[in-house]
Amino acid sequence: MAAQITPPPSSSSSSLAFSSEFNVWKPMRCCFFKWVSQVCPRIRPTNHFRIKSSNGHPLNAVSMQGGMDGSPLAKGINPEEQEEFFIDILDKEEALSTLSITVVGASGDLAKKKIFPALFALYYEDCLPKNFIVFGYARTKLTDEELRNIISTTLTCRIDKRENCKDKMEQFLKRCFYHSGEYNSEENFAELDSKLKKKEAGKLSNRLFYLSIPPNIFVDVVRCASMMASSANGWTRVIVEKPFGRDSESSAELTRCLKKYLTEDQIFRIDHYLGKELVENLSVLRFSNLIFEPLWSRNYIRNVQFIFSEDFGTEGRGGYFDNYGIIRDIMQNHLLQILALFAMETPVSLDAEDIRNEKVKVLRSMKPLELEDVIIGQYKGHNKGGRAYPGYTDDSTVPKNSITPTFAAAALFINNARWDGVPFLMKAGKALHRKRAEIRVQFRHVPGNLYKRNFGTDLDKATNELVLRVQPDEAIYLKINNKVPGLGMRLDRSDLNLLYRARYPTEIPDAYERLLLDAIAGERRLFIRSDELDAAWSLFTPLLKELEAKKISPELYPYGSRGPVGAHYLAAKYNVRWGDVGGEDD
Amino acid sequence: MSTFSSMHSPSYSHSFICSSSINEKKNQRFVFSSFPRFSVPANAKVFLQCQANSHQNAVLMQDGAVATKVSPVEKETPIEKLKSELLSVTSSNEWDEKAGFDINENESTVSITVVGASGDLAKKKIFPALFALYYEGCLPKHFTVYGYARSKMTDAELRNMVSKTLTCRIDKRENCGEKMEEFLKRCFYHSGQYDSEENFAQLDKKLKEHEGGKVSNRLFYLSIPPNIFIDAVKCASSSASSGNGWTRVIVEKPFGRDSDSSAALTKALKQYLTEDQIFRIDHYLGKELVENLSVLRFSNLIFEPLWSRQYIRNVQLIFSEDFGTEGRGGYFDHYGIIRDIMQNHLLQILALFAMETPVSLDAEDIRNEKVKVLRSMRPLQLEDVVIGQYKSHSKGGVTYPAYTDDKTVPKDSLTPTFAAAALFIDNARWDGVPFLMKAGKALHNKRAEIRVQFRHVPGNLYNRNFGTDLDQATNELVIRVQPDEAIYLKINNKVPGLGMRLDCSNLNLHYAARYSKEIPDAYERLLLDAIEGERRLFIRSDELDAAWSLFTPVLAELEEQKIMPEYYPYGSRGPVGAHYLAARYNVRWGDLGLDQSA
Repeated sequence: MAAQITPPPSSSSSSLAFSSEFNVWKPMRCCFFKWVSQVCPRIRPTNHFRIKSSNGHPLNAVSMQGGMDGSPLAKGINPEEQEEFFIDILDKEEALSTLSITVVGASGDLAKKKIFPALFALYYEDCLPKNFIVFGYARTKLTDEELRNIISTTLTCRIDKRENCKDKMEQFLKRCFYHSGEYNSEENFAELDSKLKKKEAGKLSNRLFYLSIPPNIFVDVVRCASMMASSANGWTRVIVEKPFGRDSESSAELTRCLKKYLTEDQIFRIDHYLGKELVENLSVLRFSNLIFEPLWSRNYIRNVQFIFSEDFGTEGRGGYFDNYGIIRDIMQNHLLQILALFAMETPVSLDAEDIRNEKVKVLRSMKPLELEDVIIGQYKGHNKGGRAYPGYTDDSTVPKNSITPTFAAAALFINNARWDGVPFLMKAGKALHRKRAEIRVQFRHVPGNLYKRNFGTDLDKATNELVLRVQPDEAIYLKINNKVPGLGMRLDRSDLNLLYRARYPTEIPDAYERLLLDAIAGERRLFIRSDELDAAWSLFTPLLKELEAKKISPELYPYGSRGPVGAHYLAAKYNVRWGDVGGEDD
Repeated sequence: MSTFSSMHSPSYSHSFICSSSINEKKNQRFVFSSFPRFSVPANAKVFLQCQANSHQNAVLMQDGAVATKVSPVEKETPIEKLKSELLSVTSSNEWDEKAGFDINENESTVSITVVGASGDLAKKKIFPALFALYYEGCLPKHFTVYGYARSKMTDAELRNMVSKTLTCRIDKRENCGEKMEEFLKRCFYHSGQYDSEENFAQLDKKLKEHEGGKVSNRLFYLSIPPNIFIDAVKCASSSASSGNGWTRVIVEKPFGRDSDSSAALTKALKQYLTEDQIFRIDHYLGKELVENLSVLRFSNLIFEPLWSRQYIRNVQLIFSEDFGTEGRGGYFDHYGIIRDIMQNHLLQILALFAMETPVSLDAEDIRNEKVKVLRSMRPLQLEDVVIGQYKSHSKGGVTYPAYTDDKTVPKDSLTPTFAAAALFIDNARWDGVPFLMKAGKALHNKRAEIRVQFRHVPGNLYNRNFGTDLDQATNELVIRVQPDEAIYLKINNKVPGLGMRLDCSNLNLHYAARYSKEIPDAYERLLLDAIEGERRLFIRSDELDAAWSLFTPVLAELEEQKIMPEYYPYGSRGPVGAHYLAARYNVRWGDLGLDQSA
């Protein structure tokens, strides 16, 4: 409660990002950003104080969060005043600061498909600061012109605002530059630095590095970038993509190396699932709707399911995947992150540190995954309709005898007061019968149900279920039992539903847009903190090691099928029925 | 259990269920009460059981605190069942109800006599509902329909009159013409005075002819003014009761004008009928979504923790019509909107909404719980009531008349055509939660709905996103009874996009979109229930007493003090007073927001 009245603790940029919400009724998103971008450089000094434990006393979980508590800075200032204060000063400063975004690995796939288009979308929506430049950095020799060419082929305009898209694209491309260099060459980064300086022309410089490169060169790049191309007077932030190691040890090692050159608050570990609209909405649903509040515990929830499926295989790009497998690629990060958001206790505030503290608590309350609670699978070739779909090992980039799982199902448990005994089931797989990501919450049976006999023998079909479909076709629906209209008394399950497409006609922004914007604004809510990462790995590492040590063979399933049958037995062991294969789905 | 459910659950078809066997129909509907003389297929697990005794016990317990005894018959083996049947036959007052087991369905008939057959309700609702039931195969094989009224008419004339108002269900139009012919052949007319035993004796003779010696069950539908209720009941019961089957009487509102007159009416009825022969109809209880209210509450876990003062801030029961009395104000002026809508329809819905979980879905169990709620309520206070009356209004060149412009209404009438009231249930579940009712004629729309507003989120992390009006950020469950049946739940949701803007979206279930079948009229359901002896949706005497005792003091006070109604223009949203009444209890009417179209 207090959090609503007193100013947000530690007037971090995150709280200011949220202060845009005072502004909610303003129609333009650009206004929102303008504030933030102005504010960020300004509050740079307080960043040091930001990382702290949420409740004032250090959490064991959060090793680096020592007792430094920055909140007094903001205390006693009412949020509105605080805002005005910044605006006054910062209006003048907008012209004096610049933002440089360097995409390291600019010729890579992710950069082309996601990062540049997301940057352009942000630019198109007026969400980038006035002075910004985008630099591509890679080993390939390219001119600025060539880079622009590459980029322009992948840029798209938002459907809902097509006018002057061409103009905008032109303007955007003019701000894109390229610098070719080795990833481990301090010299090359020093050259980049001098180019950046030139563009910045003496203004306050903020620099964002997006590392879209293989993990083995992460540390080299970070070293060179931080030593040679850090901003002297503004902030320097580095966005890192998964994989964050292969297990606890390698992840810890990576973190240790990164920390040699960067402080925790400079590292932005991206998990693009956290940028998805419905994942963002999860907290809103939970914490701003009274009707869900009493339901959110073991008293009412029977199980929770996190389901991810792709309808295609590795398709000739299995080299990276084979080294990691589906558990590392999807479960340990994306699904576990969503689980943590789903299951966490109410945070003190919406501040990044408060939320991440709660997530860490949940992760640390979880039992490390046991081998017996996991099913792994791998897709095999399959002929359907005259077409042959390849098996995983048919992929030329995959060793013929690979036992890397392309499918996994797991049952996890949270040993805390809220969730004791509630199975959290995860399922992720490639080359399944469809593409989907969703969260399913199955509620318990109605005790002493008066209508029991109307449901026939299968009472499981008569329970309520809340489904958040993350993709495709974002939707929220709640399955309820309802009387079929008519003279008899027949019940069926109907959906109380909210289909985003019908309710919100505007296009939903890509996850990368949100995350890039947050990184620029210094909003860390959706990025993974080091201790979170540690906790996440410690749940999966023992299992992963065991799987590899015992060389456990995956259950083979046909390409395009619903996955191995083992998943059903795993679920059945905990009295769960997968919600996505019920037949009456959708 | 399982055979039964597999029988009906996968493919529901009216023709199958209704025509193949009435007993299956009964199972479907969970009718446990008296329904005599229909054969029971051996393969159907029989739920038909004798609860006649317990009914009668229960009925006498007006305090409602004593639960009806329900024997869990479905667990019994056939032999045990048989034993209990034998026992019950000897002890039951309605011995014939159990004797029906070995008698073939072919041997029983139902005669439905519509008393007041020339009236408006009969033409518009009762005959069409009977035809719809026939069309769907829901009526027993042998049935006859008799019209009874004072006008002189031949059978053909009645048929002619009836045929004009019959319609076919949209979803099954084939051979509608044929069916109509067949139905009309079973309709007859008898002319007579309402207070003439002789005329009813003639009717009885005619009925006997049609029954042809089979077991005769008789249903009288009294669609006549209240002042002749008793006469008709007296004559029908003394001269036209069934000799060997059941006789039931459906009575329409008004059930008196206040506690005393209602009690007098009940007492008079009971002189000639037993409680279980009286079927007091409240057609709102036959509406699809009112039926669904209990299903929603009791078969969905997610609503269970929410259904109390801890989470619900207020409940609103709203009824509005977009037309006035339109020249038919004579009856209305004598009663007023409070008696016409609130004391019965809205209060019944409230009781269903607020009751504790009943022991079972049996009629007596449900009605016991309803009585308990009604008896836990505080009688309405004058200060918690706002009354209004519509005045004339010109809009777009059309002049809409005032209530007192109606020729059938006295010029100086103070009868309310609008009322809003705040009621409270003083029990553990609902203490302090305002239940607001609003009913009016000549308002801007036609609507009947239940709105449940939930409390604020304690310590809401997103408070600042809602601006100054936190009331707009609460959840709301809306059950729209008419028109366009729908259920929706207002939730706060993040507006997709960068930034964090919240808005209120609906999780909704729109019946028209989900269920393509036409929803049956309330009268169909109620008639069928009466034929089957299912009393769940009819009002028991003690319920009626409890309902009147809540409204009688305030009604008396309104009339004694000649309290002036607040005038509101025809077609408006009603008097402003309703807002102040709501505001006093920190409530905001849910139907008057900007997003009400939702």
